[in-house]
Amino acid sequence: MRHGRGRFVAGFLAAPLAVYLIFMIWPYVQTLMYSFTSWGGFSNEAPFAGLDNYRQLLSDDTFQAALLHNVFFLVALPLVTILLALFFAFLLNVGGRGNRAGVRGVFGSSVYKVIFFFPQVLSVAIIVILWDALYRTDGQGLINFLLIKLHLVDPNHPLQFVNDPTPFLGVPKVLWWILIVVVWANVGFYLVLFSAAMQSISKDIYEAAMLDGATRVHTFFRITLPLLRDSVSVAWVYIGFVALDMFVWIFALTPQQGGPNHASEVFATVLWREAFTRGQFGYACAMGVAMAIFTLILGAIQLTATRRERIEL
Amino acid sequence: MATVTYSKATRIYPGTERPAVDHLDLEIGDGEFLVLVGPSGCGKSTSLRMLAGLEDVDEGTISIDSRDVTHLPPKARDIAMVFQNYALYPHMTVYENMAFALKLRKTSKAEIDRRVKEAAGLLQLEEYLNRKPKALSGGQRQRVAMGRAIVREPQVFLMDEPLSNLDAKLRVQTRSQIATLQANLGITTVYVTHDQTEAMTMGHRVAVMLDGVLQQVDTPRALYDAPANVFVAGFIGSPAMNIKTVQLTEQGAAFAEMVLPLTRQQVATAHADGGNGKVTVGFRPEDTDIVGASEGGMPIVVELVEDLGADANVYGHAAIGGASERFVVRTDRRHMPNMGDTVFIKPRSEHHHAFHAVSGSRI
Repeated sequence: MRHGRGRFVAGFLAAPLAVYLIFMIWPYVQTLMYSFTSWGGFSNEAPFAGLDNYRQLLSDDTFQAALLHNVFFLVALPLVTILLALFFAFLLNVGGRGNRAGVRGVFGSSVYKVIFFFPQVLSVAIIVILWDALYRTDGQGLINFLLIKLHLVDPNHPLQFVNDPTPFLGVPKVLWWILIVVVWANVGFYLVLFSAAMQSISKDIYEAAMLDGATRVHTFFRITLPLLRDSVSVAWVYIGFVALDMFVWIFALTPQQGGPNHASEVFATVLWREAFTRGQFGYACAMGVAMAIFTLILGAIQLTATRRERIEL
Repeated sequence: MATVTYSKATRIYPGTERPAVDHLDLEIGDGEFLVLVGPSGCGKSTSLRMLAGLEDVDEGTISIDSRDVTHLPPKARDIAMVFQNYALYPHMTVYENMAFALKLRKTSKAEIDRRVKEAAGLLQLEEYLNRKPKALSGGQRQRVAMGRAIVREPQVFLMDEPLSNLDAKLRVQTRSQIATLQANLGITTVYVTHDQTEAMTMGHRVAVMLDGVLQQVDTPRALYDAPANVFVAGFIGSPAMNIKTVQLTEQGAAFAEMVLPLTRQQVATAHADGGNGKVTVGFRPEDTDIVGASEGGMPIVVELVEDLGADANVYGHAAIGGASERFVVRTDRRHMPNMGDTVFIKPRSEHHHAFHAVSGSRI
């Protein structure tokens, strides 16, 4: 059996390695190469342009705004999603107390768990159709309809939702409306993730905390949260990926795929437009490289941060 | 410092018919060390958790110091509990674990420090105060759990099998430590265990439970000397008492070639209530001697001899009423029989216990 084992192993390794090299590594290299050209994407000629593309990036307002929007999502999306998911998971697992003894979730928690998970089952396209109906900007949209009925909104000036580029807290309002949709779509998954982690914490510990006089708020901040730190940091990384991408959500939910008037552009939509509608493949490649560098820096920061935490443990 | 009173306290778990704890009536005195003991599933832990407020009370009441706490949340009861798995907060150091309850009560930093240091001194934990529970041995964790209860200076201590995760030697050692500690602090303590040795050695009084029903509550001595029914008789003592249901005669209980005398009144009581000419009689292995063939003992065929060093347990069987019955006798090492020998055993006079054959209660 030993005879020819090396060749046997190599035989199996060669095929996946080749696939990986051809379809993963080579495109990276190609992208890097094209980023130094002014290739149009449809000709065989890719004139060398040096660092022109990168210089152009530095003065591209749309690109820089898009970068800022990604950073907004990178901060807001994990924060809101994780806090909500933690809060719901806590209520579903240990938050219920009322006047009954013991550790349990709120009344009907098993039903809530299913409901919260619903969006995770739907495809993004369905979610977008759903929210398009909610976000209609006339009196027929569900939210506007209700608010007008309640006299909270002027029927002549209904809410503009994803068509509203005016800023709120320094970011176009359209981004906030999209944030709501993405949080809604993601929170169920992290709720289930945190639920599982909470169930692995022994009930005794909660009971000990109850006997020690901890209220629900104390229990959450002093017991649950510290014990879920690993799950939370994993969730942070996952949602970070979503926040750095956001392509599908922006593309499907906003007018002009990044509008109105580029108010909701992110990295990926700008890149897509440069490459596939304007034919600026060389420039788009430079954007891709910039994005990769940006992501690597974030990854390095994340790694250093978590390493420090581990030593503390 | 407080008294605890269970009054017809009942717990029926949702979806079950039979109560886990059935009309428990129990009074625990100020500063008393009461042990709840029984086989698993007898409702002893449930009783304790009802007192802690971790389990609902479906009927009846529980009061601490004549204050009705039946429906109060755990934190309003001023009790501290030591869990079987210790339930230490894994992300906190030993110091933080012990200080947690005090911090929640907004005790001053200096006072917290004083109390934690004091408890740590009492439990020899000073050098471990900055460690996390993960870095402690089982015995040390157990002491931290004790310390967490002590710093609270609660009205009542509750302990739910706190020694069952320790090895045998450490268990014996910790057993005496807990008893001494309780005596010094003088705090009313309710202690749950399934180990009758722990119950007998630690408790001022012992409450024996079976199937949610309190069987007997008394001093260890009284439980041993006068068990109220067959279950208590068999549960207390090791090796267990020899308990057999045999034919009742005018003179007493008829074993093989041996009659254990019963009083006229005992015989009458045994006959009543469907006794059907039978009586249940028990005698402890340590109250039984191996005697000569002519001294009125019962012949048994030895099948196993356990040499314990100081003495020995002799297991054997005898035919009674056509069935083979097993008996155990504790004997001096010098008189150890061999396997297959026939020896005569005889309980010392007045050291056998009679119970009603049907109801099982002492007669």
